[in-house]
Amino acid sequence: MSDDSHVPLKSPRRQLTDGGSRGRRRRRFRAVAIAAAVVTTLAGCAAAGSTGSGPLTIGMSLPLTGAAADVAKAGYEGYQLWAAQVNAAGGLLGRQVKLDVLDDGFDPNQTGTDYTRLISQDKVDLLLGTFSSLLNAPASAIAARQQMLYVEPSGGAASLFDRGFTNLFFAQPGTTETLPDLFLTWLGALPVDQRPKTAAYLTQDDPSASPAIAVFKTRLRALGVTQVYDQTYDPSTSNFDSIAASVAQSAPEMIIQGAVTSDGAQFVRSLEKLNFSPRILFQTKSPSDGGYPGAVGPKNTEGVFTSQAWNAKAAYPGNSEFVSAYTKMFGSAPSEDAANSYTAGQVLGAAVKAVGRIDQKALAAWLHANTVDTIVGPLKWDGRGDPIGLGLLSQWQNGTLRVVAPKSAATSTTVVNPKPGWANG
Amino acid sequence: MIALVQTLVFGVLIGGVYALMATGLTLTFGVMKIVNMAQGAFLIVSTYLCYTLWDQFGIDPIVAAFIVMAPMAALGLVIYKVVIERLQRIDPGLTIVATFALALVAEALLALAWGPNQKTATPEYFNQAIHLGQLVVPRGQFYACVLAVVITVVLQVAVKRTWLGRSITAAAENPEGARLIGVEPARVGAWIFAIATGSTAFGGAALSFLYQFTPDTQDVWLGLTLSVVIVGGLGSIPGAFAAGVLLGVAEALTTTYVSVRWATAVPALLILVVLTIRPQGLFARTTRQDAAS
Repeated sequence: MSDDSHVPLKSPRRQLTDGGSRGRRRRRFRAVAIAAAVVTTLAGCAAAGSTGSGPLTIGMSLPLTGAAADVAKAGYEGYQLWAAQVNAAGGLLGRQVKLDVLDDGFDPNQTGTDYTRLISQDKVDLLLGTFSSLLNAPASAIAARQQMLYVEPSGGAASLFDRGFTNLFFAQPGTTETLPDLFLTWLGALPVDQRPKTAAYLTQDDPSASPAIAVFKTRLRALGVTQVYDQTYDPSTSNFDSIAASVAQSAPEMIIQGAVTSDGAQFVRSLEKLNFSPRILFQTKSPSDGGYPGAVGPKNTEGVFTSQAWNAKAAYPGNSEFVSAYTKMFGSAPSEDAANSYTAGQVLGAAVKAVGRIDQKALAAWLHANTVDTIVGPLKWDGRGDPIGLGLLSQWQNGTLRVVAPKSAATSTTVVNPKPGWANG
Repeated sequence: MIALVQTLVFGVLIGGVYALMATGLTLTFGVMKIVNMAQGAFLIVSTYLCYTLWDQFGIDPIVAAFIVMAPMAALGLVIYKVVIERLQRIDPGLTIVATFALALVAEALLALAWGPNQKTATPEYFNQAIHLGQLVVPRGQFYACVLAVVITVVLQVAVKRTWLGRSITAAAENPEGARLIGVEPARVGAWIFAIATGSTAFGGAALSFLYQFTPDTQDVWLGLTLSVVIVGGLGSIPGAFAAGVLLGVAEALTTTYVSVRWATAVPALLILVVLTIRPQGLFARTTRQDAAS
C-alpha cells in the first residue's frame, strides 16, 4: 500500500474554555452557537456538491482502542486494502484516495464528536461508517444532519433504519431482523419428528443481537417449539457458569444465543464444563470470530450454526481476489469485519464512479436505484438503506466455517444434525 | 435442592477467583492506603505473560505464575521508586492520577505487543469439571480458588507474624511512630508494592485460562477488585477473601433465582448495603485513626 493512501491517525481533541462572568459566558456561548451554525451550514453546502483537485479524503471514526478494538483493526485493514486497490487503479474521479481516520475508543459520544469534526473541521469529501450499531447510530445521525452519504460496514439493528434517513446504506446482505430467516427455513423443512421440541434463548443486551433473538422466539413458537429458558444478559457479563447451569437444568434440545463478542465462546466453555451439549446450537456473530475455535477447543466447534454476511469461500465476483490481496498485504486471512469494511468501500466507490462527481444527494439517489456487485454478493437497498436480501447460514464442519444456505453461495451440501457432544467435556 | 447447592458451589468458586484477583489491591489499597489505579493493568500484564509462556513454551499457566511473579515484583519495585514514592511525598492524591496514566500506557503497550484480538489459554483442564454425583466442580475455577486460599493464608501469616509484616502495618497506620522505632516507611512501602505487584501473577494466571482477554480487560477487573477490597474492609486480607466469596455467591444466586440482567449490579448493591450497615467493611477493625477522622 502506498504511503499516501491514508493519513496518520489523529487523536480526538477537546477544547477547554475559561470561566468568566455569567453574561460574558452567555455572549460567548451565543457567539459559539452562531459560529457552529455557520460552520454547519457551510459544511452542508460544501457537502451537497463539492468538486476539487488533489486527494479525495474519506473520513471515518473507528473504535481502534477499547472493547471493539479487535473488530476495528480488521475493519480498518479492509478499508486500507480497498483504498490501496482504488489508488493502484488510478483513484476515484482521477484523484488519489486518502483515509482520514479518528479513534473513538468505542464511545458513542466520541463517535459523534469525531464525525462532526471530520465534516466541519477536516472537511472530508466523503464518509465511511464505523463498527457496531451502538456507534453507527450517532454517526449516521450526524451524517444525515449534514446531508452526507453514509455507507456503514456494520450496524444492522433494525432501529437504525426507522429514523427516516435517506442517505444511510448498510453494506451487508441482511439486517438483524432477517438474520434468522435461512436457519428457520432449514429447520422448518425438517420432518416434524426431527425438529427440536424445546429451545432456550439467551442474548446479550445489544441492538445487533436481541432483536434477532426476538424474531427467533416468535417464529419458532409458530413452528411448535416450546420455550424453556429466556434471559438477557448485560454486555459486561463474563462468567457464564451459573447461566449455563440454569440452561442445562431446563434441558433444551436447541439453544439460540445472541452472542456479540467473546460471550459466545465463554458460554460454550461453560456448557462444556457441565458436559451439556444441545442437539442444535445457533449463535449470532461470535462463531465467525477468528478466536472462537481456539477459545472453545477446535473440535467443539463441530455443528455450531451462525449467520454470516461474508464467507471466504463464497463464489461472488472478486471475493477470492480480495482474500488473496488481503492475505498478501496483512499476512493473515481476512475476517468478516475486514470484508464488511471492504464491501462498504466497494459500495461507495461504485456510486462515485457511476455519478461521476462528489454530489452527496446524487450518490444516495444512485444507490437507491441500482444494485452494486460486491464480495458479499449483489447489494440492493430499500428507501431506508435497509438491504433487500439475506445473509448466509453457516455451520462449523470439520474445523471450517462452511456456508450451508443459500444454495447460490453454499460451500457445503450437508448439514451436521444433531450437533455432536463436546470433545473434552 | 441440587440446583441451589450447585449455584452455591459456582458462587464460592468464582468468589475465590475474585479474591485471587483482588490480592494485590488488598495490600496496596487495603494496607498501604495507596489507591493504585494501575492494579488492573498489572493483572492483565501478568495475564499476557502467563498466556505467552503457555502459548510459546507449553508451560501450564499456574506454573507460569511462579515464573512471572519475579519480573512483576521487579516492575512494582521500579514503579514504586520512580513514581509512587515521589508523589506520596508531594500529594498522595496525585498517586491516583499517576497510576491511572500508567494503566493507560500499559493498555497501549499491550495492544502494540500482542494486538487487540481476544486471547485465552486452553490447558487441558480449561473446559473440564470434576463430577461429584450431580454436582459439577469446574477444574479451572477450583484450582484458582485453591490458589486464592493459599495466597490469602501466606499473606496473612506474612503480615501478622513476620517483622516485615508488622513493619508494613506500623508504617501504614502511623508513619511517624514507625520511624521512631526504626522502620522506614518508604523502604517498607517499596517491599509491599513489589509483593502486591508480584502477587498479580496468580490472578493473571487464572484469568488467562478462565476467560478471553484483551488489553482493555483491566477495566472490568479493577472495578470488581475494588468492590472486593471495600466490602471486605480495608487492610483485611481474610476480609478480601470472604468478600470475594460473598460477591461470587450473591452473583450466582441472583443469576439463577432473580435475573441474569441483575447479576452485574450485585457488586454495587453489596457495597451500598455493607457501607450502610458497617462503613469500615465486613472484617476491618475501627482503628484510632478511623475514629479520629
